Amino acid sequence: MPEIFTNIALQHYLIVGGLMFAIGMIGFMTRRNLIVMFLSSELMFQGAAINFVAFGAYWGKMSGQSFVIFILAIAAAEAALALAIIVLLFRQKHTVDSQAFRELRG
Amino acid sequence: MKTRATIVMYHGRLAREWKAKTRARCPCYKMEFVVEHSYLIPLLPLLGAIIAGLFGAKVLKQRSHWPIWLGVGASAVMAIVLLVGMLTHNTDHKTLYFFSHWFTWINAGDASTGIFNVSAGAFLDPLTAVMLTVVCGIGFLITVFSKGYMHGEAGYFRFFAYLGLFIFAMCMLVMGDNLIVLYLGWEGVGLCSYLLIGYYYDKPAAREAAKKAFIVNRIGDLGFAIGILLTFYCFGTVSFFGDMGANPGFLQKIAEMSMVGPDRLEFWIPFFLMIGAFGKSAQFPLYVWLPDAMEGPTPVSALIHAATMVTAGVYMIVRLSALFVGNEAAMITIAIVGAFTALWAGLIALRQTDLKKVFAYSTVSQLGFMFVGVAVLSPVAAVFHLITHAFFKALLFLSSGVVMHATGGELDMRKMSGLKKLLPKTRILMLIGCLALSGFPLLAGFWSKDEIVHAASTKSLLLYGVLLFTAVLTAYYTFRLYFRVFEGPEVIPQSHHAGHDKHDDHQHADHQHDDHQHADHQHADHQHADHGHHNHGHHNHEPMSMMLPLFVLAIGALLAGIINLPFAAGIKEHSLGHFLSQSPSFVLGLQQVEKTYPAGLSETDHLGFGHAPTGEQAFDIVPLIIGGAAAIVGIFIAYLLHLKNRPKADELAGKVGFIATAIDAKFWVDEIYNAIIIAPLRAIGGLLWAIDRYVVDLLVFLVGFIPQLTGYIVKRTTQRGYLQGYALSMLLGLVVILLWVFV
Repeated sequence: MPEIFTNIALQHYLIVGGLMFAIGMIGFMTRRNLIVMFLSSELMFQGAAINFVAFGAYWGKMSGQSFVIFILAIAAAEAALALAIIVLLFRQKHTVDSQAFRELRG
Repeated sequence: MKTRATIVMYHGRLAREWKAKTRARCPCYKMEFVVEHSYLIPLLPLLGAIIAGLFGAKVLKQRSHWPIWLGVGASAVMAIVLLVGMLTHNTDHKTLYFFSHWFTWINAGDASTGIFNVSAGAFLDPLTAVMLTVVCGIGFLITVFSKGYMHGEAGYFRFFAYLGLFIFAMCMLVMGDNLIVLYLGWEGVGLCSYLLIGYYYDKPAAREAAKKAFIVNRIGDLGFAIGILLTFYCFGTVSFFGDMGANPGFLQKIAEMSMVGPDRLEFWIPFFLMIGAFGKSAQFPLYVWLPDAMEGPTPVSALIHAATMVTAGVYMIVRLSALFVGNEAAMITIAIVGAFTALWAGLIALRQTDLKKVFAYSTVSQLGFMFVGVAVLSPVAAVFHLITHAFFKALLFLSSGVVMHATGGELDMRKMSGLKKLLPKTRILMLIGCLALSGFPLLAGFWSKDEIVHAASTKSLLLYGVLLFTAVLTAYYTFRLYFRVFEGPEVIPQSHHAGHDKHDDHQHADHQHDDHQHADHQHADHQHADHGHHNHGHHNHEPMSMMLPLFVLAIGALLAGIINLPFAAGIKEHSLGHFLSQSPSFVLGLQQVEKTYPAGLSETDHLGFGHAPTGEQAFDIVPLIIGGAAAIVGIFIAYLLHLKNRPKADELAGKVGFIATAIDAKFWVDEIYNAIIIAPLRAIGGLLWAIDRYVVDLLVFLVGFIPQLTGYIVKRTTQRGYLQGYALSMLLGLVVILLWVFV
């Protein structure tokens, strides 16, 4: 096993999780396609999940890992709902551009 | 209502004797019942009013007069029993009264602040007995008349309910033993007057007249209220006589005080009270509401605006005479106002063409006579004139109601003439009323008016002259009306079927009756299918139900004078004056007079309070002859100008054009009030409205506008509908929280 793999410390995991969260957030802010925005939000989810797992392994506790199982389940359910909503929105305006849906503006 | 009547007599021994006597003597025993159950007198009409008011519209309909007839009739019987009982109840004592305590109405304050105690109860003395008999007796006659007169009206039940309420309030007014109960009745009758003037509320003139009556009375009542407050402030009680013992009322307190001058507050109480009396009894300058009040149905004009309510001011001053007679300035004021009003209203009545308006101004004028009577220290004469006036004026009003009924609501005497064939009975009744009003010798008005004029002649020649001149005017305008309407060539107004416009009290009366009948017999079987006998041509204009009360009133107008004939001392024992002199009000009043004028009282002053003269006094026939001559002169002038040679009247009026114009315009009093009071008030009202609209409302709207504006700005800047924008806000929020927590 090369050294580089055995010397992975907690902070490396946290950096990866943070990067994933940041990439997801920037994607959510900048992209207009609802599906891509949804994808970005999943990325933020997983970034947070990595944090959980990393801290769980670090403290030698199982609670972080078990929490992630819940996160994954919720993300799956949410994906089903969100995609269904996007389909419905698309049926209304034949677009998935988030700028097209501004009915709730003040 | 659980009430235990307590009968307080002047002496305990006398009370026992009296009780023993009443067991044996029937009338007095009955009177004991009335005294013990005095609460029934106001309560029965009130119950009748409640029944008529609640069930009249749906259940009783055209039978709504029954509860009122029964209630007022029973009260009238009780009042007469009380009067007869008191008349036959001869005591050697100076005073005669019963006090029946119902319950304590108000009990406030303590020894440190002064105790404000108001008892609801009946104070029954000769004055109250006389007033109750007039109110309930004439009230009953008028309710009987109203059944025929108001027949078929849509608001039939409403009319009778108000009438019952009025009798209730009027009974409270004359029975109260303190100013607060008096004031309650005072305002109650004012309310009923307002409601009944505005009875035809779909007629703008009636609405305006009702409002005018109410507002003008408020001005007077403000004075009255201030008077009551001052009375409590000065004397610590509002009761007239207290319990006649340890706790004296304010009348006894004022009688015990030494003379009060203008520097004392007590001095001013009568002035405030008299403003109330001037408002209610339509004296100058507050008389303007009474002529307009004729917009109400004619029975109301007869009962409220001639016979009873408008005399409340006279009653009040007579009741409180101890407070008034010691105050020379107040008495002079009342005398001047009364005499001036008598003359003023008499002048206006000269050229009025509306029957009811003539009688309205005549009422104002006669009330002026009554005030003069009180002011010249002759309350007996004032009450005497009050009684006779109630009879003949009610008779005159109801008779003109019959004329209206027959002519389809026409009241303009220029449009009618010689109705004696159409209304033979009414003509006789009207003649009796007119003779009595004008003071024709031997009729009721002759004796009572003469007593006032005679009493005035002993005080001031000017007063005497004014009253005598007014008496001539009275006779003239009364007979001008009589000769125009009932004598001369026959002219019957042709407005019976069509064109019921103004002053039509019983608009659509017959037609509504028809509708009603038709509606009924649609439900019933068709036995009345041939119902169509309603032929106006053969309509009896003088139905018995309307005529009977008039006959009774006519007897009163003919003979009411005998109750107080100015003859020898033997008759005096049973006269009204002697009877009234037993009233505590009169006893205290005379005490006060004796104290105020220690230089010696004339014989008329004793007579004025109902006491037989101390020395031998020859019966003086000269004033009677002068009074009778005044009436005959007036009647003769009216005969010349309005029967013998009618065009001459207009010719004469043309010669004194300005005076005639002034009288026709009623001396522009309404216009002057409009200019100096109503118009400025309207201007101030407009100004205040503008301030409210443009200053106060502006501030209010501004305060409301600021949150609105803020909300708008926030809304437009944050709620933009961009998903990314919301996400950014969330992110920024998160950043802020993190910075807050970790930095």
